[in-house]
Amino acid sequence: MSILSILSQKPWTSDQAKIDDKHSGKSSSMPLPRIGLYVLMTVIGVLFTLFSVAYIGRMAYGDWRILPEPPLLWFNSLVIIMSSFAFHKATISSRENNHKRTREYLFLAGALTLGFITGQLFVWRELVSFGYFVSTNPSYAFFYLLTALHIFHLLGGLIAWLLVIFKSFALEDDSSNFSLNVNLCAIYWHFLLVVWLVLFAMLLLT
Amino acid sequence: MSESIIPESELEEVELYHPKSWWTEKVFSQDAKLIAIQYGLTAFAIGFVALVLSWFMRIQIAFPEMAIISEGTYYQFITMHGMIMVVYLLTALFLGAFGNYMIPLMVGARDMVFPYLNMISYWTYLISVLVLFVSFFTPGGPTGAGWTLYPPQAILGGTPGQETGIILMLVSLCIFIVGFTMGGLNYVITILQARTRGMTLMRMPLTIWGIFTATVLALFAFPALFVSAVMMLFDKLLMTSFFMPALVEFGENLTYGGGSPILFQHLFWFFGHPEVYIVALPAFGIVSDLISIHARKNIFGFRMMVWAIVGIGALSFIVWAHHMYVSGMNPYFGFFFATTTLIIAVPTALKVYNWILTLWKGNIHLTIPMLFCLGFIVTFLNGGLTGLFLGNVIVDVPLSDTYFVVAHFHMVMGIAPVLVILGAIYHWYPLITGKMLHDGMGRFHFWVTFVGSYLIYFPMHYLGFIGVPRRYYEMGQTEALYTSSAADLNIFITVAALAVGFAQLVFIFNVFWSAKNGQVAEKNPWNATSLEWRTPEQPPIHGNFGKELPVVYRWAYDYSVPGAKDDFIPQDVPNEKVTLAEGYSELGVEKT
Repeated sequence: MSILSILSQKPWTSDQAKIDDKHSGKSSSMPLPRIGLYVLMTVIGVLFTLFSVAYIGRMAYGDWRILPEPPLLWFNSLVIIMSSFAFHKATISSRENNHKRTREYLFLAGALTLGFITGQLFVWRELVSFGYFVSTNPSYAFFYLLTALHIFHLLGGLIAWLLVIFKSFALEDDSSNFSLNVNLCAIYWHFLLVVWLVLFAMLLLT
Repeated sequence: MSESIIPESELEEVELYHPKSWWTEKVFSQDAKLIAIQYGLTAFAIGFVALVLSWFMRIQIAFPEMAIISEGTYYQFITMHGMIMVVYLLTALFLGAFGNYMIPLMVGARDMVFPYLNMISYWTYLISVLVLFVSFFTPGGPTGAGWTLYPPQAILGGTPGQETGIILMLVSLCIFIVGFTMGGLNYVITILQARTRGMTLMRMPLTIWGIFTATVLALFAFPALFVSAVMMLFDKLLMTSFFMPALVEFGENLTYGGGSPILFQHLFWFFGHPEVYIVALPAFGIVSDLISIHARKNIFGFRMMVWAIVGIGALSFIVWAHHMYVSGMNPYFGFFFATTTLIIAVPTALKVYNWILTLWKGNIHLTIPMLFCLGFIVTFLNGGLTGLFLGNVIVDVPLSDTYFVVAHFHMVMGIAPVLVILGAIYHWYPLITGKMLHDGMGRFHFWVTFVGSYLIYFPMHYLGFIGVPRRYYEMGQTEALYTSSAADLNIFITVAALAVGFAQLVFIFNVFWSAKNGQVAEKNPWNATSLEWRTPEQPPIHGNFGKELPVVYRWAYDYSVPGAKDDFIPQDVPNEKVTLAEGYSELGVEKT
């Protein structure tokens, strides 16, 4: 039901009451954790959008210098894409109740994520070695800030990933929640992949 | 059983967390009601600190020759007073305290959907409060940058607290936002997904609509504050130049250069203006319910009240730069933001009309909650009208940075929401404690607070008109800006402020005294319809609703329904179980 049709209801009328009395009380049939994740991703999306707006706003000033992107960023991007893909495969395996294969994909996804984070730290080292410090220019500062923020969100995701890994070793007969958990991790990783690709594109274009 | 009654077997039961020790029951509780009380007590404790700071400031302004505090301390107090009141008191009280207590009870849920996260949310909030409070005891003290924390001055030498105070303030805000996000997730999803059978969105009381919309606003607006806080921390700690322009300090060139202070202002007010409505919308919702209950009448224009809440919420994101008319931004922006500011006044005014029309021909009970509601309506109207002055560029420019602005925002987002909070506490105290607050002390508290607030803030409008600037810790001897009448008025205002402060001490005493010695409250003492009063126990226990969750058959405003014997029909009573008045064959239908 659209928000407009909800807002046009007249709850005090007897006709509307007949419909309302049968209402389950839920606005969506989605599982709670999934809705929770979507709301969280919306907030994180707003956060990165506002940082990007600040980035674009700050660019307009004369002292802005274009940051030379190290080629390693391309490799890192490939790694995080692979990590997201591994989560996708883990989701499929968990739906097929293939726990062993799911766990393998989960380990692969985690390892690739750690690889991405390490790669980003190497990029920082490379930039520092060229003398591009955080205080040298706002464009460099933004680069460090945005990549750090992205890494923090991945680290938060890795906590959830760890919990799912633990859960995979203690699976009981009913694995529907496990499958949902793996799926939620995958959605979060896809989301952070999109965030990274947008940030990377913004850094490349500016 | 008639058709409209839903079989109990169809009700879905929810898993509830049960504490295993004293610690998990009383301290690290996952029960939203206890978390609400923890939020409330913490917010009041830090809010009391902010209140005491204001007494010092008022004494300094009235009697500058006493030099009770230094100029640096004055700025530190003004900063901490503002930030604590807006963020750590009002936001935490409306969403953390009222949100936690009222949402599950009013929508018919056993608890929040993510109780563990809810608990973490409170403890994160407490850490943010402690980090902020610790800044009083660090070298240099708390920041004195003003609650808006504008760069560059916020982090430059010469501004009090620039050593550690500003860092702790920014860190505390970031922690607060993280904590709030956890709570906000809970409030939104509980309202969307954990309502009981029959509780459609449009059957929810307006209190919940207000809290829901304010939470959505906060989830969108607080990230802007987070962004500005993080970027300013970078400027302070890592010497970046996001906001810092090229500067010479004490004859030395600083390493900063090229940054944009106005960028900070845009980010800050993109949070700051919705923040006004994060505070106001729950107040709007609560006051609507309280007026309806204590006037024994359904709320006038319910749908429009909901539309207005949602409309104000949406519009609040496109008015922020009316706080920046004198910042040096492009003047054409001003016209746009002045227009949107006038537009947002429309749904706001609509709400005021509807409150008044609800009172019209109502069976008005002048209970203490009702007195606070009436006080709110006139205060909000006063504060709103001065907002129309300040929302227009041409009027705002001469009034900027004068006491007119101080009077405006204290009326509209200080006193007005506080009156609602106090009214709400008098209203729901019997539910929370099972006791009534002492009536005599309550009436004394109301009249001194209400009349005293006007004695404080009405004269400030005059001070603003004659050009007395805000933020000055003393005015000096100039007759041009500070006439003898202004000096006398400042003494008058200070006396009134101290009297209002004293009334709050009476209120605090009343809260603690009545919890032990108060008259035992009858069940549902105000004869309200909403579900929070329909729990088997009062105060409600863990799980709220006993064995079966209630089923909802009507909206929350069935007061004085023609044909019903009582002047209220609770939401969980079906038509078939309503006791009819004499001479009626069914609700609204007289016997022929």
